[in-house]
Amino acid sequence: MIRFDALRVAYDDSVALHGLDLEVAEGEFFTLLGPSGCGKTTALRALAGFVQPTSGRVHVDGRDVTDVPSERRGVGMVFQSYALFPSMTVAENIAFGLSVQRVAKAEQRERVDRVADQVGLRPEQLRRGVAELSGGQQQRVAIARALVLRPRILLLDEPLSNLDAKLRVQLRGELQRLQREVGITTVYVTHDQEEALALSDRIAVLSEGRLAQVGTPREVYEQPASAQVCDFVGEATRLTDAQRSVLAGLDGEEDVWVRPEHVRLAVDGGAAAVVRTLAYRGPSTLVGLELAGDPLLAAVPSASAAGLSLGDPVAVGLDADRVHRFGAAR
Amino acid sequence: MSADTLTPVRPGGPRRGRRGRGSTRRVLSSPLGVVVLVATLWFAAAFLVLPNVTLLQATFAPDGRLSLSAFERLLSSERALRSLGHSVLLAATLAVTVNVVGVFIVLVTGWFRVRARRVLWLGYATTFVYGGIVLAAGYSFIYGRYGFVTNALARWYPDLDRDWFSGFVAVVLVMTFATTTNHMLFLSAALAGIDAQSVEAARLMGASPTTVLRRVVLPSLRPMIFAVTVLTFLTGLGALTAPLVLGGRDFQTVAPMILTFARSESSRDVAALLAILLGLATIVLLALMNRVERGGTYFAVAKVATPIAPQPFRTRWGSVLVQVLAWALWVVYVVPVLCAVVFSFVDPRAVMAGSIGLGDLTVEHWVTVLTDAGALAPFVVSVVYSGLASVVVVLAMVLVARLLSRWRSWMASALEYVLHLPWILPTILIALGLVMTFDRPRLLAAQQVLTGTVVLLGVAYVVVKIPFTLRLLKAAFAAVPDEVEDAARILGAGQLTTVRRVVVPVIAPTMAAVAALNFTSLLDDYDAAVFLYHPLFEPLGIAIKQSTEGESAVQSMGTTFVYTVLLMVVQGLVLWAVYRRRPTGTARG
Repeated sequence: MIRFDALRVAYDDSVALHGLDLEVAEGEFFTLLGPSGCGKTTALRALAGFVQPTSGRVHVDGRDVTDVPSERRGVGMVFQSYALFPSMTVAENIAFGLSVQRVAKAEQRERVDRVADQVGLRPEQLRRGVAELSGGQQQRVAIARALVLRPRILLLDEPLSNLDAKLRVQLRGELQRLQREVGITTVYVTHDQEEALALSDRIAVLSEGRLAQVGTPREVYEQPASAQVCDFVGEATRLTDAQRSVLAGLDGEEDVWVRPEHVRLAVDGGAAAVVRTLAYRGPSTLVGLELAGDPLLAAVPSASAAGLSLGDPVAVGLDADRVHRFGAAR
Repeated sequence: MSADTLTPVRPGGPRRGRRGRGSTRRVLSSPLGVVVLVATLWFAAAFLVLPNVTLLQATFAPDGRLSLSAFERLLSSERALRSLGHSVLLAATLAVTVNVVGVFIVLVTGWFRVRARRVLWLGYATTFVYGGIVLAAGYSFIYGRYGFVTNALARWYPDLDRDWFSGFVAVVLVMTFATTTNHMLFLSAALAGIDAQSVEAARLMGASPTTVLRRVVLPSLRPMIFAVTVLTFLTGLGALTAPLVLGGRDFQTVAPMILTFARSESSRDVAALLAILLGLATIVLLALMNRVERGGTYFAVAKVATPIAPQPFRTRWGSVLVQVLAWALWVVYVVPVLCAVVFSFVDPRAVMAGSIGLGDLTVEHWVTVLTDAGALAPFVVSVVYSGLASVVVVLAMVLVARLLSRWRSWMASALEYVLHLPWILPTILIALGLVMTFDRPRLLAAQQVLTGTVVLLGVAYVVVKIPFTLRLLKAAFAAVPDEVEDAARILGAGQLTTVRRVVVPVIAPTMAAVAALNFTSLLDDYDAAVFLYHPLFEPLGIAIKQSTEGESAVQSMGTTFVYTVLLMVVQGLVLWAVYRRRPTGTARG
């Protein structure tokens, strides 16, 4: 459906993407994940046609669209700021693309009403100015405006980042439902790993303009391809030499990382550590330990963490087959 | 030079993201882009660059060869040298007096907890609608040789020197109370921008209100005080109307001297040299101001600044002292305005006699101005000139600002700097340049002589309003997020549709506001008109100035007061309309 071939985007003083190769399948909810400045928005904007690649090609449905103007690529986009037209009402915003295409007024109205209903906008809200709506409702307008033209691809550039936490989770669910209902190929950009893991069929992790890993959320989390991915997606501790020497079965030259949920706490029968921090997270508690002079994170059920206090000595063990080993980075 | 052309900001404005700007080739690929570019280059060459080149040429190479004769003649003219000294003296004095009054009224209206702050504010804000030639004429009619107060005093003291209110002291007094507009605009805004929590923090650490004012508030305002001081200094240096009307024979400054010298063909080179010196001083001071402005962070660093609350007085005598001074100043500000309104309904003979009774009240002047075509003419001429010039400059600068905001090249920067030239040049220098350039056929003006025609004053008005208009419109374009334009594009809208249906509706309020502000500031212009007006189409500024010349002209005093009131009403309404509207931003929840 979508293919990036050795896509490179360079500016006067920096390179945003160093030859990105990537494929997105039809109907897929695909996420570009990475920290700020990793090139994910540049990749999305190159797909939308807002950024001209320095080299490489972009294909949609087997057709090379690298030089095709944005409006003829069959993509709809929801911007981070929503980019609603402040001088127009909600209905006018949604109908804008239709009126540019000179679609008959009656059909415009009908399509606007249908898409508004799909995204959960009430009829009376359509007559309001966009500035009168709450953030969540503005986001629905932006999605409706993108969908009303029935694009083949929907691009979402951090669309939830302007919302409060609760609304973010709620709209995340709605976005997923809508995508399934419409069956539209969706490319989603975010730096929020939790959002990416919850929403996506597949995730591409980008780092410093390069592709670090592509895979399902489970693959990316459980089998990270590199230390960078392991560090960025989810929590993990890189074990120091001293820590490896006190923990059993961790020989070798590779870099070893461990996720908090794979660190076990026992009263005895393990390496000696001290509790330094406790962060209650509802069902689990994140325990900050000091092991062999360096920090180590452990996630334990809150029920078993209830008895712990700062400064308590504990014994630590971990499953040697659940740790992540990467190259001889040291 | 008006306050708006000298707002303490740098050319350039906010930068767009790199993806929003294109190469020269891209700009030239659009037919509209080419037309706008060619028209802008022609206008800039003909009316911004050529006049200044002509002025330099007339000064330093009158016969085609380099000559310093203008300098020699300037140095040998005692009158000219004295005017230079007077200008510096006036500027330096105003820098002190205007700051003392300006800072005080800003603190009274924005810092201290005083009663009826809004009433006080309204009184101090009269300078927004009452300034320039109108104000100078008003003071002249009240305190001048034939003024009401002078006549009233003369009844009791027949030996009174009728010119008691003229010369240095009169000019300084009038200008001090007339030029606090910049303080009211910029210093008030800077004071409002101070984070109240920083004040509270200082109070918690034991600082007294005076210490907070001295150690926290005033240092934060320092760059703005410096900026308005420079503006005040420049206002003093280039002052034309106040010294002209109230300076008398003994206190003439550079600007009136330029006017005098420019009137005679033989001394025009000295006029040009004086204008260039004035321009140079302006450029140097503005450059200095920009340097200082870049010097450091003085404003609130908090993400969300808490607005400042009025500070109570600690001692009773402090409260009494400040309030007495505040209201005394209020009277000084309000009396001339009240007099203008009252005198517009009074028989001039009563004003001349220095005593007004109920029987002297009349609506004759109002009837004359509103029904006699001849009396209304100057007002109509000014309205037409100002209206046309403001609309033309706004429409043209919309296109130019759009071009500049999407064009990344050294040529774009160069063009932008040329368009900002009028910002750093005094109006009288611009006017003189235009007069001296277009008094002969010029290729850039289709071989037409423009001096003496009705066109040139219109051109001058457009020229002086370019920097202010361009700056605000560029900022308005920059405030339209790139994403909004991208959204329109991805929905299928072409360039023109995007501009027409998405961008212009967003910037329309700014366009309207800029046009309105341009209109009111040109309405009572004197500085450009005095060099460029057509004798058959006398603008308001000229008519008002003439009514201050000699005893016989005093008969037209009533008409002038009607003009004054009309001007204040129009300017007041425009300002109210501009500042009343709620800010329109991008849609955010």
